[in-house]
Amino acid sequence: MTKFGTEVETVFIVDDDSAICSGLCDLIESAGLKTQSYSSAEEFFESWNPGMAGCLVLDVRLPGMSGMELHAKLVESDIFIPVIIMTGHGDMPMVRKALKAGAIEFLIKPFRDEELLQAVELAFALDRNQRRADQLVNSIQARAEKLSERERQVMNLVTAGLTNRQIAEKLYLSIVTIKLHRRQVMKKMQAESLADLVRMSERISA
Amino acid sequence: MRSGYDVSMFATKLNRIAIWTMEYGAKPGSIAVCFVLVALLWTFPLQHVIAYPFVFLFFAAVMGSAWFGGAIAGYLAVVLSTLLITYLFIPPLFSMTVAKDSQSYLAAFILYAIAISIVSSARRRSESAVRSARDQLEDKVRERTAELLRSNLEIQESTRQLRMLTEAIPQQIWRADASGQVEYCNQHLLDYIGGSAETLRDGSFFSILHAEDASHFRQGWEAALAAGGRFEVEVRVRGADGGFRWFLVRGIPQRSQDSQITHWYGIHIDVEERHRTQQGLLSAHEDLSRFSRTTSLAEMAASIAHELNQPLTALATHAAACRRWLQADPANVSRASAAADMIVQESTRAANVVRRVRSLLSKTDYVREFADLNNIIVELTRLLRDDAIRRGISITLRLAEDLPKLEMDPVQIQQVLLNLAINGMEAMMKINGPKVLEIGTHSRGQDEVQVSVTDCGPGFSEQVKSKMFEPFFTTKPEGTGMGLAICRSIIEAHDGRVWAEQSPKGSSFQFTLKVSK
Repeated sequence: MTKFGTEVETVFIVDDDSAICSGLCDLIESAGLKTQSYSSAEEFFESWNPGMAGCLVLDVRLPGMSGMELHAKLVESDIFIPVIIMTGHGDMPMVRKALKAGAIEFLIKPFRDEELLQAVELAFALDRNQRRADQLVNSIQARAEKLSERERQVMNLVTAGLTNRQIAEKLYLSIVTIKLHRRQVMKKMQAESLADLVRMSERISA
Repeated sequence: MRSGYDVSMFATKLNRIAIWTMEYGAKPGSIAVCFVLVALLWTFPLQHVIAYPFVFLFFAAVMGSAWFGGAIAGYLAVVLSTLLITYLFIPPLFSMTVAKDSQSYLAAFILYAIAISIVSSARRRSESAVRSARDQLEDKVRERTAELLRSNLEIQESTRQLRMLTEAIPQQIWRADASGQVEYCNQHLLDYIGGSAETLRDGSFFSILHAEDASHFRQGWEAALAAGGRFEVEVRVRGADGGFRWFLVRGIPQRSQDSQITHWYGIHIDVEERHRTQQGLLSAHEDLSRFSRTTSLAEMAASIAHELNQPLTALATHAAACRRWLQADPANVSRASAAADMIVQESTRAANVVRRVRSLLSKTDYVREFADLNNIIVELTRLLRDDAIRRGISITLRLAEDLPKLEMDPVQIQQVLLNLAINGMEAMMKINGPKVLEIGTHSRGQDEVQVSVTDCGPGFSEQVKSKMFEPFFTTKPEGTGMGLAICRSIIEAHDGRVWAEQSPKGSSFQFTLKVSK
């Protein structure tokens, strides 16, 4: 498994029509991007892993699981990947449903190349943002895991707004001991200030 | 038993003899004796006053006896009087001998007495005959009078029963004279229309009919007048609450001896419920057929659209990619040519879809048989009749009689006609005034037959005219735009032509069919 942030962004294409798949791949590759195509929703879902950065270009009408069903399943499984939906018949209720479910773009076949490429660009930017945010949370999480039980207790009380004296009373420890723990927490979490520590704790508890 | 029978026979005989004796012996005898005795008793004192008074009194006795006792009594009185006169009054007195000079006198007396007796009894007989004839006449008159009274009562009773019957029938009944003036209507009808019989007088019968049905009713009635039979129409009749209900109105004419119509008897049968169900069924049927027609067409169109859209999308993306590969710096010619190959491949695929659709449409069996076009039209009008009546449209046929038989697919031609006719009828839905759909045929030279379907609708604009036969072109909210396109493809498959014209009243659709040689 590649490390976060280092994988190559890829456009994943799911369409049962191989000609359309190859056309989309050709077009996206001509823009200098990497592509990967799948002929069914199930195939994509099974091969998905968290290291797959980029976006998903998804056809609505598919054999077996439909494009809309795959989208719903991704949302349900807490898998974040920007989705661009394609369909041959753009009826308004379906468009509304797809956009409501979180699709970033809805393309009606046949579409112009710019439409798709702009949508892909937007999707990549979204994915990048999300991944950066995820990465940050992950590193904070990793730092927090290095804290001892007592240090975690102290951090929780400090970020909750208690003074050293209040914490000492609560934990039946001396103020000096609390101060030592607190310095240790700031160091391990690489927090520059109390405000910084509060922000970090909010990120990981969210 | 036998002796009993004899006894009764004997008694009857005895009885008869007694009556006979009474009638012809005792009664005239006693009457004659009485009258003669009275005459005798009066003659004794009177002979001292008047000479020969006996003559008159005895004449009177003979007359009275003959009058009251009949001929027998008269003759008896003559005999008695003669004997008494001879004995008592004609000299020599108290002897039965008659003096010579009195003999002629006695003879005259006897002759006169006999004559009086005959005349008197004859008079009496004729009088009693007249009396008995009069009595018989009176009896007869009395009998006749009684009979008349009885039959009068019977007539009254049967009239009453008939009226009760008309009131008991849960239908509305009326009677009108020959001209249609309502003379009688039963309580049900009055209750329903909420008025008196006067409201139906003077031709105002039509005022209770729905305005749209009045002419229909009149037609039915006039047709019955012409054919001389009964009529039956379904019309809406206004009730007391102002609402209309459907009634089956049946009219039956009553004729006099010389077969002139004297009365009309009418009955109104409420068919509202049946009508409602029927209407519901009809509209459901219509909805269903329209729905299935449009959905099948829409489904087919959607599937064709999808089939074509896929290669088009692939084409568009490959073409865009191709351009990008060529515009890149440096141009990636190998990728561009690969994309171009894909473009060729996908356009072939699109062409194949089109070919498949075309072969699917032409899959219907090719039928050509000789058929009578006029027959097809007559059959079609039979199909359309209900629909036309419901829409208040009359269908007129102007069919040329000497049409040659044509080679065609009769089912397809009927489809074309049906389509054009329904279009015409739908076009007339919103107009006021008479709605007439005219279907006509005529020969056009030696080798063509022309059919026209003409309506009185609003017609069409030039813009519509230029596009109306194109697929998916429609002016109707629920139309598929395929009807006229299919018509054209059918007619063209028959080597014919189809076009639309503005007629003076509405639009006219025409098509031609070739006469096969």
